[in-house]
Amino acid sequence: MKNVVIAGYCRSPFTPAQKGSLAKIRPDDIAAQVVKGLAGKTGVNPEDIEDLILGCAFPEGEQGLNVARLVVFLAGLPNTIAGMTLNRFCGSSMQAIHIAVGAIQMNAGEVFICAGLESMSRIPMGGYNNMPNPALYEVFPQAYIGMGDTAENLAVKYQISRKEQEIFALASQKKAYAAQQSGCFDDEIIPVTGKYGTVDKDGCLRPDSTAEGLAGLSPAFQAAGTVTAGTSSPLTDGAAAVLVCSEDYADKHKLPKLARILSHAVSGCAPEIMGIGPVSATHKALTRANLTLADIDIVELNEAFSAQSLAVLKELAIPPEKLNIDGGAIALGHPLGATGARITGKAASLLRRENKRYALATQCIGGGQGIATILEAV
Amino acid sequence: MNIQKVGVIGAGVMGASIAAHITNAGVPVTLLDIVPKDGNNRNVIAEGAVKKLLEADPAPFMDKNNAKLITTGNIDDHLDWLKDADWVIEAVVENLQIKQALYQKLDAVCKADCLISSNTSTLPLALLTKDMPDSFKRRFMITHFFNPPRYMRLLELIPGRKTDPEIILAVNEFADIKLGKNCVVCKDTPGFIGNRIGIYWLLYGLLDAIDNKITVEQADAIMQPFGIPKTGIFGLLDLVGLDLIPPILYGMKLALPPNDAFHEVNRLPDILQTLIVGGYTGRKGKGGFYRLNKIEGKKIKESVNLQSGVYAISVKPDLKEIQEARKAGLKALFSHPHPVAQYAWRVISNTLCYAASLIPEICDDITGVDAAMRDGYNWRYGPFELLDQIGLPWFVEILKSEKRPVPAWLLNKESLYSTVSGKLEYADVSGAYRPVKRAEGVLLLSDIKQQSKPILHNPSASLWDISGGAACLEFHSKMNTLDMNIMALINQSIDKVQAEFKALVIHNNGENFSAGANLGLLMKAIHDQNWDAVADLIKQGQQTYKNLKYAPFPVVGAPSGLALGGGCEILLHCDAVQAHAELYMGLVEVGVGLIPGWGGCKEYLRRCLQLKRPGGPIPPVVKAFQTIGLASVSKSAFDAKELLYLGTNDSITMNKDRLLADAKTKALALSKDYAPPKPYLYPMPGKTAKVLLDMGIKAFHLIGKATDYDVIVSGQLTHVLSGGESDFTAPLTEDNILALELEAFLTLVKQPGTLARLDHMLKTGKPLRN
Repeated sequence: MKNVVIAGYCRSPFTPAQKGSLAKIRPDDIAAQVVKGLAGKTGVNPEDIEDLILGCAFPEGEQGLNVARLVVFLAGLPNTIAGMTLNRFCGSSMQAIHIAVGAIQMNAGEVFICAGLESMSRIPMGGYNNMPNPALYEVFPQAYIGMGDTAENLAVKYQISRKEQEIFALASQKKAYAAQQSGCFDDEIIPVTGKYGTVDKDGCLRPDSTAEGLAGLSPAFQAAGTVTAGTSSPLTDGAAAVLVCSEDYADKHKLPKLARILSHAVSGCAPEIMGIGPVSATHKALTRANLTLADIDIVELNEAFSAQSLAVLKELAIPPEKLNIDGGAIALGHPLGATGARITGKAASLLRRENKRYALATQCIGGGQGIATILEAV
Repeated sequence: MNIQKVGVIGAGVMGASIAAHITNAGVPVTLLDIVPKDGNNRNVIAEGAVKKLLEADPAPFMDKNNAKLITTGNIDDHLDWLKDADWVIEAVVENLQIKQALYQKLDAVCKADCLISSNTSTLPLALLTKDMPDSFKRRFMITHFFNPPRYMRLLELIPGRKTDPEIILAVNEFADIKLGKNCVVCKDTPGFIGNRIGIYWLLYGLLDAIDNKITVEQADAIMQPFGIPKTGIFGLLDLVGLDLIPPILYGMKLALPPNDAFHEVNRLPDILQTLIVGGYTGRKGKGGFYRLNKIEGKKIKESVNLQSGVYAISVKPDLKEIQEARKAGLKALFSHPHPVAQYAWRVISNTLCYAASLIPEICDDITGVDAAMRDGYNWRYGPFELLDQIGLPWFVEILKSEKRPVPAWLLNKESLYSTVSGKLEYADVSGAYRPVKRAEGVLLLSDIKQQSKPILHNPSASLWDISGGAACLEFHSKMNTLDMNIMALINQSIDKVQAEFKALVIHNNGENFSAGANLGLLMKAIHDQNWDAVADLIKQGQQTYKNLKYAPFPVVGAPSGLALGGGCEILLHCDAVQAHAELYMGLVEVGVGLIPGWGGCKEYLRRCLQLKRPGGPIPPVVKAFQTIGLASVSKSAFDAKELLYLGTNDSITMNKDRLLADAKTKALALSKDYAPPKPYLYPMPGKTAKVLLDMGIKAFHLIGKATDYDVIVSGQLTHVLSGGESDFTAPLTEDNILALELEAFLTLVKQPGTLARLDHMLKTGKPLRN
């Protein structure tokens, strides 16, 4: 089978929904600038790109129709590149990478742009016309459970205290701020320009977070609960993209090879504890790569919630020094459709930067799912 | 002269809130203040003032977006921004030199026909313009607003001897029509009208209470039978600010002639000074005569003992004897030997005598004085109207028996106002009666009621001929609550108007349009478990409102104040609404554990569904639920538009006195080629929307924002608003939605939770959060 590599990664700044600098910019415009930036940065010949696969959790409104195809046009890429929008909620753009890997390995293309976008300012979570199936709701209401409630369920199930959640969130904030200060995001951020100027810096970080401040917040989802806004990933606007191609193609065209994709997996779990999804997905992906967790040097675990991440860590023994070393979604933000491309691209970049061998990128997904990707340094 | 751009100088409480109210008229304002000594931002005072306006309660803006109409700056850098202003209002510190220096600058900057006015409450106009050229004097006057300017209707206009009459007319017209003010032209005398009499009354009440050991609660409570607001004397002093009293008294002392009766009350009692020195300057300070003291986390209302200066928990005074006597009239109250009744006599009689002694010194006639006290101090009756309420001959006789001087012009009259051939007249100082004049465009139902007999009438409602082919339906039940008498009169009116008129206006001259359905009737039926009676109540209301909507003539609602529950529902069924700007409208039924059952859900849903915006089946239902489920009440008529209670065809009148005339004009305009509305079909999403909304309520419940019973009530509301079991491919009729309303209503009235809410509301006037 062909080897498939990640040959480039970039993203827009991530900024908070409504209040942030990207709130007034259409998501398709954000994504187009990121995709264009990726093409420029990698030096790939656009004529060779087979498809733009674009993940989005709520593909309607300004990120509706088949927004992937529209982003091709907006980015000024050749019409010969096709466009596919896909939805696996938070796992959408990681799934985009998986689809590209499969296509390359079955000889259905050499080069793909795998991207994701979400404007949580401009398209509400749940969409404009959320129409749940009453019959399903009657027999299986957890199919539609709110994400905050799933985090509360995990906190109870795994006996994770509010204090532990706050310590985890504070660590994420500290790591992200340190990374920002030392310029670790400079390479990956594509400045995005809109009517009101250019945005080139992440906006969700709360470097002024303190243990006392976090302890003073009210619960965000359940009056008697332990999950707060401070221990949840914020609603975020942003887009991310990676270039996925066969290793042969990268070699032939001298593209920068960040990492080889060894294996990937998705899995399902009970929707009311959707946050535990990464556990089974990771086990499947490790098995497929013939590795154990101990072999993994770098882990990007999406931080939907502190409680959710800590529950996963109770099942997967990941040492803190390997985990989200530039911070996670609690600090950086979580633009649903874009996160998968961010953490996979980030894991690939970190393998290079940290000079390590194996990386894992994994996420939980609403509705009770997990997704995972194993990478190997090239 | 057309006032299209206004400048306000001085961004203190008055200046800033005057600026805010001018934006309520849609007119842009430049707001300037001085450059502060410290700091980099030279506009910080005016900018800060606008921020405070946005947070102030009660809200100075009728729509928060109006804040964008204010441009902020400072007088050093930006005075030239006023060069194209049509009116500049000076509201700076009460310092003659500062004001005069500012006028010099304004005279140089402002265009030749720009009106310049001062909001001074203490300085005479003659002094203000002393060294100014005649050209300035022609364009200058005092325009004295009352605080808060959005809510207090009085605007005292004090022209100088040289003020151009056209300018007076222009301000009068702008203030009347655009700002909703009742303008009273006053003489250039200290305190003008409102404060001259008002401060006298407050001080008399304060000093007499101290001298005669009347408590602050007793003093304030005994003012209410005279139509004086609940704040009475001491509550109002706290509201005004106790620290303002000494400079006002000092100013009055200097300005008034030595024989003025004001001097008798012009002294500062020790208690007032003690309070001020201690920081108890009233509501803006730590408290005043009353304070809210935090004890174990609870706010406890306390009042000060006027003799000892010690605070104690405020207690409701026991005035049962006096209340009993009051039933026989104000004379009986005054004649009661209780010390508090005698206190009332001294305070009121001296205040009325003082007011009578000031005609024509402060105002040519009594109507201006009465208007000033009504609209500047919120008295239900002006002093002379109050004299008539008491009984003028009796009042004069008592004064005589007490050997007190009686103003000569009060003698030998039965009353100061009288109605002659349906026209209201007032007595002037010469002894003659003159007609009370109404401005052009003012039509008062109270006048019509004096001049004619109702066409239809029952204990709760009447139908009046308001001429020109229009009829007016009036509610006059308690709080204008809606009952079966009103429903009956609506149905009779429909036949009558159809036969004899072109259009119908629904309006009343009460403080509130309607507080909603009469819950007492409903409670009785619930207690009797007479569910058929409840169903009948709902069906009758639904059918009556529907009859009104499809009547063959236009129906225009003309509400002011509260229009809640059933009162809101009737307006939603009108062809158009001509609303007073101060309209507090809402479907608030969930507060008493019910849902709108007289077609409120149906009509509000239609508004949401017809709103032209990208959507789909869900957003209109969500919008309707957000509004009705949260019992949203508009904070003004402009806000009612935002909330979709008012539609694009509905209009707003700023001056309440013009509301009926505007509504009549609108109704008659609609009567040309009028056709009733076509029935609307409702494409409703059905149960999927209910599931979605119920999930939202569940989340609210989990976080503690919805109570247990909120979940039950909301569950019924979501059933109605989603269209029950329907599917959006098969639209529902109006009757289908009405049937859903009825079903939900009948389900809720049988719940103990609803009964508890209704009971609590009737007893306390507040919603129960069960």
